[in-house]
Amino acid sequence: MSNAVADGGTPPPFHPYRLARTLTAHTRAVSCVKFSNDGRLLASASLDKTVIVWSSSSLSLLANLSGHSEGISDLAWSSDSHYVCSASDDRTLRIWDVRSPTFECVKVLRGHSSFVFCVNFNPQSNRIVSGSFDQTIRLWDVKTGRCVREIEAHDLPVTCAHFNKDGSLIVSGSHDGTCKIWDVDKGTCLKVLIDDMGGPAVSFAKFSPNGKFILISTLDSTLKLSNYAAGKFLKVYTGHVNKVYCITSTFSVTSGKYIVSGSEDKFVYIWDLQGKNIIQKLEGHKDTVISVSCHPTENKIASAGLDNDRTVKIWIQGAA
Amino acid sequence: MNVTIIDPLQGDFPEVIEEYLQHGNMKCIAFNRRGTLLAAGCSDGSCVIWDFETRGIAKELRDKDCVAPITSVCWSKYGHHLLASATDRSLTLWDVKSGEKIARVTLQQTTLLVRLHPGSCTPSICLACPLSSAPILVDLNTSSSTVLPVSVSDSGIGVLPHPRNKFADGSPPYTPTAATFNKNGDLIYVGNSKGEILIVDFKTIRVHAMIPILGGSIVRNIVFSRNGQYLLTNSNDRVIRIYENLLTQKKAAVALEEMSSSFDNLQGTEKLKAVGSKCLILQREFQDAVTKIQWKAPCFSGDGDWVVGASATKGEHKIYIWDRSGYLAKILEGPKEALIDLAWHPVRPLVVSVSIAGLVYIWAKDYTENWSAFAPDFKELEENEEYVEREDEFDLVPETDKVKDYEVDEDEEVDVVNFEKDPAFSDSDASMEELCFLTAIPSPDAPEQQDKYVGSSTKVEESTHSGSPLSVDVEQNDQAIILPDLSLAEAGGNSAAEETVGTNSSKRRRKPSAKGLELQADQVRKPLKKGKSSNKSFKSKNKKNDQDTNGFAHEEDVTDECL
Repeated sequence: MSNAVADGGTPPPFHPYRLARTLTAHTRAVSCVKFSNDGRLLASASLDKTVIVWSSSSLSLLANLSGHSEGISDLAWSSDSHYVCSASDDRTLRIWDVRSPTFECVKVLRGHSSFVFCVNFNPQSNRIVSGSFDQTIRLWDVKTGRCVREIEAHDLPVTCAHFNKDGSLIVSGSHDGTCKIWDVDKGTCLKVLIDDMGGPAVSFAKFSPNGKFILISTLDSTLKLSNYAAGKFLKVYTGHVNKVYCITSTFSVTSGKYIVSGSEDKFVYIWDLQGKNIIQKLEGHKDTVISVSCHPTENKIASAGLDNDRTVKIWIQGAA
Repeated sequence: MNVTIIDPLQGDFPEVIEEYLQHGNMKCIAFNRRGTLLAAGCSDGSCVIWDFETRGIAKELRDKDCVAPITSVCWSKYGHHLLASATDRSLTLWDVKSGEKIARVTLQQTTLLVRLHPGSCTPSICLACPLSSAPILVDLNTSSSTVLPVSVSDSGIGVLPHPRNKFADGSPPYTPTAATFNKNGDLIYVGNSKGEILIVDFKTIRVHAMIPILGGSIVRNIVFSRNGQYLLTNSNDRVIRIYENLLTQKKAAVALEEMSSSFDNLQGTEKLKAVGSKCLILQREFQDAVTKIQWKAPCFSGDGDWVVGASATKGEHKIYIWDRSGYLAKILEGPKEALIDLAWHPVRPLVVSVSIAGLVYIWAKDYTENWSAFAPDFKELEENEEYVEREDEFDLVPETDKVKDYEVDEDEEVDVVNFEKDPAFSDSDASMEELCFLTAIPSPDAPEQQDKYVGSSTKVEESTHSGSPLSVDVEQNDQAIILPDLSLAEAGGNSAAEETVGTNSSKRRRKPSAKGLELQADQVRKPLKKGKSSNKSFKSKNKKNDQDTNGFAHEEDVTDECL
């Protein structure tokens, strides 16, 4: 941690973000928005049962992926940005080939006995992890579409499941208030990060880009950065409102280091990673901001709003 | 990077067969440098690349010219290429990512063992150990080859034929000769039929040092540990010998040359022996004093702490594991199929063995759940301890004191982006990107795929018999797949058949450990067989019209037995 500012001297000054575009195509609440890993595409999932793929540069609508019979809660990109996997309330996950001209659905992953709530590819993109209201985590083989492991992970719906950098660990969070780390090969629990019986539900958790920390969001309007090896919370970010929804947050690392999160007060919050102070609140959504995503290379943020908003907003830096 | 919380027992050795891989008739295996991919050479001349994480086939390297059984496979350092030698005397270099053949060279003899030069990222030079002549260096681009010296005579250093050679034409004696590169590839270690290790300079092909092995019998294998610190030889006298490499890792050839010139007062073999004594030092000998087993495919564990060797006795699948200090740690007994090749995973306590039947067995630690992981404040005890209550243990503590647990400097800078390199691969050249994974391409949920699935596994029926009924894991897997099939059949979907076929012909099976077998014997007696057979008939029919009814029957059977 001594080399915190390893990428050269003082962090660059913060340039405020401003609204660049509002994308309106979904007919219901947008549940998730994510940039592809190559930064060329943007995908948004919605309760209207579709995933929309956008060009992240022109922001034009490229495809509307329909096939799920219920609303979609989450989506994930494969590392090579070739596939999108969507998690739906119809208890299935679907893998879509976004390089095929028809954006066809190449695989349907069946197995969960309740709503599938979260999904992620491992960095190798040969496996998919999904978490469900059936309280399990499932690991899927991308090639065959088989469920290779089912972990009875939690006592209440699983809200998030995310691989670390080398794909050897999964972090999962649940309404049961715990946050657990799993060994991918053996499917065993390696550590329980939060074990507060009766504590606030864990609404979101993800590994930091280098895999050393976990950003955990709990439904008491708190974001915490945990050093999971030591079992300590290093930073706490507050100020936003998050008591009901599983709002996603993320690391912004393209210029300076920030934490970005949605909020139930309709703003997007940006904190300084080190200082924990709120740097900017982005105003524009008409409902809870449920999901945010940072472009992998540019200083660009995408955010998604719930039912009274139904839009995806793109935020960039610089003068209007 | 997860060593901090992953498996505190890491460094142990494998104990049980975790799983086996089946695809065609596999003959020889090799892990890539990270252990993420496993290459296997098959008897039909193809090579299969297994994704070792998902244990699924990531690639098949196949060509109409390559039809002879593969004798040996070797990865390039960064995993982009795979070299395979076959019984038709050919060497074939493949591009792993594209699956294309890059070069093919036909030699005068069948190569038993092939090693790519470890130094370069786009290798063209390889070391081939033929059936009955001296090892040769082959340039795969130009097809030119250089014969390595296999013996030294008192008159000097050179490529002179074996003194005891009885062949009139001066060809080398009829024995395969073992050889290997050192870690950087600037030296070649040759184990000859007189029981000597020769250290040959890769560039000049001059013998710089010679180390006589006790007993002086034919050297069958010569293998370096992954870190290059240790060398083992396996000789015909049924002893595995471990040597410590005294030369520096980098610029070993230069160091050796200098050392050689410092012994200029000596001549011929004396000099070579003198230099040799400064290069390798015998550390340990492993043998089975009682049964005097001949060893096969010996190698080091990834970290070099363990030595593993298989019994070469006919029909035996026995793997011996010693720690480097000479203590026999474990004998693994496999199925009644002779072992033909063996490899230790580069980083994990895991051994992979190939049987004469062409199956690949994966040996791993017998894992036990670490229950204390669920409760961070608990610790596991080996045995009961008398609990001594602290004086203030149940004192009421004001809330303010509790906060002390969280003594964290919140202002400390955290680095969420940078990460250290894996120390196990410290020699990685950052400029060269390593090929660790082949992109997993989801096979489409289309009916056409069915034939391919069935065709790619030649032993579908057998494997369903031998593996599945015994295995609880497969049962669970089946359940996982089958439940959705029902819902699909109800909906009149048409990919149910495909799903089930995929399950059955899948080429990975879990095998129970010996003790697991007993437990599972009970389950086998239950209607499991019936369930499986209906499963099979379902699969073999494999027609859309039959699907609904069969799908239902099948599902019911299985749920019954699962309950």
